[in-house]
Amino acid sequence: MSGGIARGRLAEERKSWRKNHPHGFVAKPETGPDGSVNMMVWQCIVPGKPGTDWEDGYFPLTINFSEDYPSKPPKCRFPQGFFHPNVYPSGTVCLSILNEDSGWRPAITVKQILVGIQDLLDQPNPADPAQTEGYQLFIQEPTEYKKRVRQQAKQYPPPV
Amino acid sequence: MADSTEELEPLFDYSRVQPLNIVCLDDDEDASTRRAFPSKRRKISESVVVDDTEENPKVIQIVDCEEKEELDWLAPPPKVSTNAQKMLGEDSTIKKLRLKKQELMSFAQSAEDVLRAVEESAKRELGNSMKSSLEAVDEQSSKRSCERAKIVISVQDKNGLKHFRMYMNDNFERLFKMYADKVKLDIQNLVFRFDGDKISPTATPDGLGMEDDDIIEVHVKSS
Repeated sequence: MSGGIARGRLAEERKSWRKNHPHGFVAKPETGPDGSVNMMVWQCIVPGKPGTDWEDGYFPLTINFSEDYPSKPPKCRFPQGFFHPNVYPSGTVCLSILNEDSGWRPAITVKQILVGIQDLLDQPNPADPAQTEGYQLFIQEPTEYKKRVRQQAKQYPPPV
Repeated sequence: MADSTEELEPLFDYSRVQPLNIVCLDDDEDASTRRAFPSKRRKISESVVVDDTEENPKVIQIVDCEEKEELDWLAPPPKVSTNAQKMLGEDSTIKKLRLKKQELMSFAQSAEDVLRAVEESAKRELGNSMKSSLEAVDEQSSKRSCERAKIVISVQDKNGLKHFRMYMNDNFERLFKMYADKVKLDIQNLVFRFDGDKISPTATPDGLGMEDDDIIEVHVKSS
């Protein structure tokens, strides 16, 4: 029953997204093979910011909403092994606004989450590392780090 | 995790009760109007008494109507009006007038009823024709172009939004061409997407389940 609140909010989020969203971003509830829609899981695309090493990458992101949304934040996931200092090996994004105990507020919209993650891509937070490889390269070998980021952007070309 | 969701359960139970609270608020309002009512009734009966002396049945009836409209969920105060009628009944011309008025009122009522019935049936017919037109979109809409549903679509590029109006069951080819002409780019280098999926020029807004103000994104192919 409590899911009614989550679902209602997500329906609103989806409605407003359809009318207005930043260019290049995609956010839509998951559709099953039988055409059924799962409002609790959204398949999204976060484009790399133009003018950064992330440019021209279209990074797939899955957002999992719990029945407790929006009192609790959703879980945002890049593909497993995604290269970024603040992304766990599982792909889960570590970001203050997605943390129940720090920055999350129920008023934060899906749009704000996705734009926040786009910002995080080019502005990692070295104070809160989530994977060793990305973190160490970012701190110790900036040139190698840049190279890896550009490589990864090429791995996720614009969807055809 | 399971435990934590269970812990939260009461929270949502509480919010589930909220609509009930709203109902309670309504009750409060009702109570206040109920409380306010006796004084109102007194006022009305007073005015009726005044009307009696003036022998003006019309005003009395207007008062009655107002009362019924406003507070028809309460027992109407029939005593006052019947008393008034009894007292006024002595005057035969007034009696006649009142009878005529009732007649006229009933005529007006029946006329209203007829009008309402006509309106409703018209609406029903309209609804039916709409339904059938939806069922057989292709046939009907091509016959009666004025009935074709239109949609406003926002085309978004990196510089902002442009709005286009088109038919729900028209394919996107024309819109794509119009857009390409507007931005002076070769249509071959443009990719149009809805929800991340490329739109074929043969697709229609209807087919993609689009709604008013939905966004189509334009991407310029980097060659």
